[in-house]
Amino acid sequence: MATSTYLSNPLVTVNAVDLTDQCSAANLTRVIEALESTSFGKTARVYTAGLENSTLTLTMYNSFAATETYATLAALVGTSTTVKIKPTSAATSATNPESTLTGCYLETLPIVNAALGALDTIDITFTGGVYSVAVA
Amino acid sequence: MIYTIASSKLGIVGDPFIPDEGINVAALLSGGFIVEQSTPKPKKPAKTSTDTNEEI
Repeated sequence: MATSTYLSNPLVTVNAVDLTDQCSAANLTRVIEALESTSFGKTARVYTAGLENSTLTLTMYNSFAATETYATLAALVGTSTTVKIKPTSAATSATNPESTLTGCYLETLPIVNAALGALDTIDITFTGGVYSVAVA
Repeated sequence: MIYTIASSKLGIVGDPFIPDEGINVAALLSGGFIVEQSTPKPKKPAKTSTDTNEEI
C-alpha cells in the first residue's frame, strides 16, 4: 500500500492563464530522446541522450465564453508558449514542485468535439520546450 | 509597452502585467486577457514668464 498519496488536483496555467477550472486531466511526461550508440563488439544495445522533447497533454472542457478555453488557446495554435503545472494550488515547495515547459509548441487545437448529451471536451498537447522545475 | 491585466484568470484585474519568458503576449491581447496601455507622456513644464527687463 502506498505510504504517501495525493488527490489529483493540479494547478494548470497555459500562457500564464489559469485554466485549472476547465481542466479535467493532465499528463506531463519528460522525454529525452534516445540515440542509439551501439557499436561492434557490444552484446546489447546502448543509448545516449539526445534532444529533450517533453509533452504536456491536457483534457479540457471547451468553453467559448470570454477569457475561457477557446479565448486562451485560439491564438496559440502554431506558436510557442509557456505552460506550468504543479500538484496542488498550495505554495510551490519541495513537496509541491512547479514544472514548467518554456517555449513548448501547440500544433493542433480541436475546435468542436460535440456529442449529444455530453460536455464538449478537447485534448491538447504541448510539445517540446525547455523543462524546468521550481521548488520555492 | 505597458500591459494591464483585464481578466482574473491572469491575476488581479487592473494590475500591470509583466510577461515572463516565453509568454505569448499577442495571444493574451487577442483573447482579451490584457490591454495595452499607452505610455504616459511626460508633462510639459509649466510656462513661466521671465521678465528680463528689470526697471531700476
